[in-house]
Amino acid sequence: MTGWLLFGAFVLTNALIYGILALGLNTQYGLAGQANFGFVALFAAGAFATTLAVLPPPDSPEYVGTYEIGFGLPWGAALLVAAATAGGVALLMGLVCLRLGGHYLAMVTFAMAQVFASFLANEEWITKGQFGISPVPQPLRDQVDEASTYIYLYLGLAAVVTLVAYILAERAGRSPFGRVLRGIREDEVAARTLGKAAGAFKLKAFVLGGVLAGLAGAVWVGSIGAVHVGQFIPVVTFNVWLAVLLGGVGNNRGVLLGALLLVLIRESTRFLEGVPFLADLAASNASFLPSLRYVIIGLALILVVRFAPQGVLPERLRKRVQPDLTADESAPVEPVQVKA
Amino acid sequence: MDYFLQTIVYGLATGAVISVAAVGLTLSFGVTGFINFSYGEILTVAAYTTYALTQAGMALPLAALIAIFMGGVVTFLVARGFFEPLRDRGPLALLITGVGVAFVIQSLVQMAFGGSPKPFPLPLMTPWQIGEVYIPKLQVIILVLAIVCMIAVHALLRYTLMGRTMRAAASNDALAKLSGLNTRRIIGGTWLVSGLIAGLGGVLLASSQGNMSPTLGFNFLLVVFAAAMLGGIGQPYGAMLGALVIGLGIEFGAAYVSADYSQALAFGVLIVVLLVRPSGFLGKPSLATAGGAS
Amino acid sequence: MNALLEVREVRKAFGGVKAVNGATFTVAPGSITGLIGPNGAGKTTTFDLISGRTACDGGTVQFDGKNVTGNPIHKLSCAGLVRTFQIPRAFQRMTAWENLLFSGTNHPGEGFWAGLISTGSSRRREKEVAAQADEVLTFLEIDHIANLSAGSLSGGQRKLLELGRALMRDPKLIMLDEPFAGVAPALTGKIAQKLVELREQGMTIVLVEHDLETVMRLVDHLVVMHMGAVLVAGDPSVVRTDERVLEAYLGGAHV
Repeated sequence: MTGWLLFGAFVLTNALIYGILALGLNTQYGLAGQANFGFVALFAAGAFATTLAVLPPPDSPEYVGTYEIGFGLPWGAALLVAAATAGGVALLMGLVCLRLGGHYLAMVTFAMAQVFASFLANEEWITKGQFGISPVPQPLRDQVDEASTYIYLYLGLAAVVTLVAYILAERAGRSPFGRVLRGIREDEVAARTLGKAAGAFKLKAFVLGGVLAGLAGAVWVGSIGAVHVGQFIPVVTFNVWLAVLLGGVGNNRGVLLGALLLVLIRESTRFLEGVPFLADLAASNASFLPSLRYVIIGLALILVVRFAPQGVLPERLRKRVQPDLTADESAPVEPVQVKA
Repeated sequence: MDYFLQTIVYGLATGAVISVAAVGLTLSFGVTGFINFSYGEILTVAAYTTYALTQAGMALPLAALIAIFMGGVVTFLVARGFFEPLRDRGPLALLITGVGVAFVIQSLVQMAFGGSPKPFPLPLMTPWQIGEVYIPKLQVIILVLAIVCMIAVHALLRYTLMGRTMRAAASNDALAKLSGLNTRRIIGGTWLVSGLIAGLGGVLLASSQGNMSPTLGFNFLLVVFAAAMLGGIGQPYGAMLGALVIGLGIEFGAAYVSADYSQALAFGVLIVVLLVRPSGFLGKPSLATAGGAS
Repeated sequence: MNALLEVREVRKAFGGVKAVNGATFTVAPGSITGLIGPNGAGKTTTFDLISGRTACDGGTVQFDGKNVTGNPIHKLSCAGLVRTFQIPRAFQRMTAWENLLFSGTNHPGEGFWAGLISTGSSRRREKEVAAQADEVLTFLEIDHIANLSAGSLSGGQRKLLELGRALMRDPKLIMLDEPFAGVAPALTGKIAQKLVELREQGMTIVLVEHDLETVMRLVDHLVVMHMGAVLVAGDPSVVRTDERVLEAYLGGAHV
């Protein structure tokens, strides 16, 4: 039983991390209409920034291993560092893409993520390349003896960060700032005609998305206590995309749900080992099960775009309620089509 | 000096492989209006098909031909099955669908052949020697095959009805429909041609690299896209030019600047091009601005 | 009186086609000016040039005493020059209400930080903008569509919403691109009446129109364009009988 509970905690923590990532992508794409295919770079930036921040410096008593950089910061500060670093990278990406949109934006961001990945892989003095960095101090690890108890504690910490991320994303979306973005997303020329500096708004949303990705990176590193460049591959970006599309583009609660669904889909491939026919195939070919997971992700993307582009929880119309002027959500608006 | 000449030869060969792949991608974009993200996987499929057939005892040239044919068929089926139903949904929906298809195809290849690199079945070739300079035979053959392909594409576009209607559809889809051209057939034919070219691209790519893994085509996609964009997306002759520039750039970058960052250089070029002149060398300036944001 | 808008020799060519070829005219404050001309005369392109949507190949645009040639669209809008589109560009996925709120000016809540932390000044401004939106809805007599998504509105309602959004900008000058196109006759009369009311309140209006009957009755000043340039400008009753204008309209249709 405890085995199952632990597994559940592990899955939920992953779901929360993907949830924060999905909130970030939802801010860039769902709110501001910018299709970012290089999202994993922001995640990686946050993760490595966190690592550098929390590792003990070489001259300190806690120093372990051959890594030369470390600032020994407490985890609270590390979260801020992660958010700021990823936000900074997002700012760069956003500036480059300012005059692009639609599928060109997607391809350019994809290209930029590849460049960043190249940079991370080559600059081993920062990332330790193919060896990875381990161990990385985990938050509040010394407060608890048992590794299993820590998993539950960490789940709680992750939940707190997710809540903060959710609040940020929701506030941004519901504010007048968010309203302008939703207009820009739909018709940039109309928005400009109505006096809005579209470029500046898009950039800010892009940075906010990056900040959230950075937080996710921090939570990720803390959850395993290690980091490696090989964890930040393109498929991560598309996992996040699936979470957003599945959950409901433009709806923050939706994308959190989408993240949970994503993780459940991924983890379900573990249980396919139980199916006799597949188990034999898996035994004969080491690549079988991991590849199957990607096949399912790929199929899910195709099916969601084709049959359920608005996701499970579509974005809702914001109506005016008399006499108080707070926005009210009633009937769903026509689906936020995945359209360029 | 030898190093320099050698770099040029490698640059031309790399450019040739990119050129073939880029033309295929740009032709499909020109007619259908979206970027086929699963394009790279067709190269992978062709390379592995060649491998599998030669493993079964077939001669390389025949295996390669069948692989090229497979490229066309797979592309056509994918387009009919996955892209066609979504044609009114916009380039981003089709791009994401392409991502999904790419994952499926790549994973199927990996399931069938495993993830570790396999050697591409090339015969042993000794280089030609002119004085002090060694000219690698393989690179020359690749270059020649690529040029033959380019000539064939040129002939297709200029002298066949299909080619002319592809060009018409590329420059104005609405007008093409109005003048009674059967757009669905054109599109189907375009996918077939794009796939055949991709098939050749895959064979050439695997040949030039010597070995292949399931990520062969996927890793190559961005470089191909960069070349196509550089030349003006939708412009086949531009793609050839762009590929040459990028190919030489990568090889010279690797030889004289940094081998680790040579691909990053290609992407850097792409980014700069898209910012400064989104229409590329030969593209029309009105195209590509804002990429369909509004 | 100084002109509010001065367009001088603006030019724009697309490829080989000279869409606008040296157009010059002025707009006096507090007037309704009509910009008419046969198809292809360059009226909408001129609108695009003035509002900053398209860059001029040459010529100048002066607004409110300042040279605004080539200014970005949003800057011009903030300076008080707002245009509407022939085919209304309302945000379909928002309600009419939200479309109006969107258009509010000088809103601290649209800032990044103020967006995240709802500040007092942001909430105050939101109330003001909401009150203004209420006024606009009442003025245009479209209160009942407030909570409908813009995508579900009728053609006429969309036209009114388009006008409403422009009004939310507290403009000095509104440029209306074919406000009566595709609108039922009853609604045409209403829109025309509203425009007159706006003029009474001091608004300056420029409109492009094909519906010559309505335009003749509505405008104080008429500018006729032909082949990218201004053919004749002046009082409607004088312009309508000008031979050049009659010729431009191919001699058949009366003006």
